[in-house]
Amino acid sequence: MKRSCSLAFFVPAALAICLLTAASAQQPGSGASAKAAHLAKNPVQEIDLPQYPVEMPPGPNLSAFQQHCLLCHSARYVTMQPRFSRAVWEKEVKKMVDVYGAPINATEQQQIVEYLVAIKGPAESK
Amino acid sequence: MSDPGFPDRRRFATLLAALGAYAAAGRFPGGRDLLSAFTSSAWAAEAPSAPELVRYPQKTDLILLTDRPPQLETPLRYFQTDLTPNDAFFVRWHLSGIPTSVDTRTFRLEVSGHVKKPLTLSPTDLRQKFEAVSLVALCQCAGNARSLFEPRVPGGQWGNGAMSNARWKGARLKDVLDAAGVLPGTVQVGLRGLDTAPLPQMPRFEKSLPIDHARDGEVIIAYEMNGAPLPMLNGFPLRLVVPGWYGTYWVKSLSSISVLDQPLKTFWMDTAYRIPDNAGAEETPQQLAKVTVPITRMSVRSIFVKPARQEQLRSGARYTLEGVANDGGSGIHKVEVSTDDGKTWGDAILGDDLGKYSWRRWRAPWTPPSPGNYRLQVRATSNDGQQQVTSQWNRSGYQRDVIERLDVVVI
Repeated sequence: MKRSCSLAFFVPAALAICLLTAASAQQPGSGASAKAAHLAKNPVQEIDLPQYPVEMPPGPNLSAFQQHCLLCHSARYVTMQPRFSRAVWEKEVKKMVDVYGAPINATEQQQIVEYLVAIKGPAESK
Repeated sequence: MSDPGFPDRRRFATLLAALGAYAAAGRFPGGRDLLSAFTSSAWAAEAPSAPELVRYPQKTDLILLTDRPPQLETPLRYFQTDLTPNDAFFVRWHLSGIPTSVDTRTFRLEVSGHVKKPLTLSPTDLRQKFEAVSLVALCQCAGNARSLFEPRVPGGQWGNGAMSNARWKGARLKDVLDAAGVLPGTVQVGLRGLDTAPLPQMPRFEKSLPIDHARDGEVIIAYEMNGAPLPMLNGFPLRLVVPGWYGTYWVKSLSSISVLDQPLKTFWMDTAYRIPDNAGAEETPQQLAKVTVPITRMSVRSIFVKPARQEQLRSGARYTLEGVANDGGSGIHKVEVSTDDGKTWGDAILGDDLGKYSWRRWRAPWTPPSPGNYRLQVRATSNDGQQQVTSQWNRSGYQRDVIERLDVVVI
């Protein structure tokens, strides 16, 4: 009797705790609304941007890639890409120069293409 | 989702490791969330295309595409509510000079150019001098689901999470333009935010809207998102909301509106964000479209949110398939689901209607009859009769509206 009694209490209580935990985990909840209230009152917003450097695979002209490409964007612009043909990589590098004005001369562009093809070129070129 | 091309063997190994870790932690996550939640930098070194979760200021854990400038994708589990929480709202910046500090006491929005009276407005001016309007609208990156295009195309390798749905509050762009007094001969407005280019010769991010669109009364300058100020990474303190149009027009940290009597000449309209000049944004790698136009209105699309990738269903057990559908502003007429790879279709139940610019959640009960592999499909039809297509490709991976497929294992 005593056992069933305590179970009758314990099971729903445990269930309620589980549900409550799940509910608070589901949404940003109280923390977020407190944050929002703070934001609403504070006229200044300021954040520090974290960086998530990624180690680039070794390959020919890695230093040219690092020197010229990482000035404007993180290496993840490359690491997130699938494999592409040399023609695609040549076009991408040319776009950085022609459209975005990256100061990279023709020799350096070729070096960078070599690196990109080595690490993200078509599978058969590996 | 954002990892096609990720070798199955490796995915399986990751999954096994993740299962082990979660079992040890006593948690029971499902499908893709499990995969993405566990993927750490240690795994990234071995499997660079596996999703990696990171937490930026004012944001929750999001899928990292790039960190400088930040491009962060929303995990699909956040699409199980009508409104995407602000801290889960996806992030996409173009140039590395992004605003990290704004003082609303000194921040000003300039309205200049072909107007009677140029304006300099503080966020408080926008709140106090103009009528406040509010609407729910989906913001979706033009390149959402780019990673699903075959053959693959270069660019941000988004899965389906480069979109988010929010309730926006702000002032009508029309009211602000009227206060400045647009002069006859105006053709466009140019829109710019606080973000800057890392090199002086690099074109700053700038977009334009035709003047009639800018004055249609629906485009708003938002100062609130889901009842709170915008997170910095989503455009604090002001963001343009262009309902029904792709996110590229939703200029963040909007600081300059220039009223133009000549079309804006900029890389961001003339070269980037362009699609083949045909209804389906279609071309082939062998035959690229000769004429391209700026991408504008969102096409009709629907995706699965549940089951998540890798989630296993049980034979004979009732399950509720779930997802979201959207179009560019006519609203969703119906969503159909197939559990036999498109041979037969049934109507899904539509969720609450939050307005024609909101996405529409849907659900469809399904009891898998027997163990095995199933290919599910989902397709939406908009109120103006737009339907999804069975195949599509363009060189930039924009405006994807291919019928979504999902492979599910039933045990």
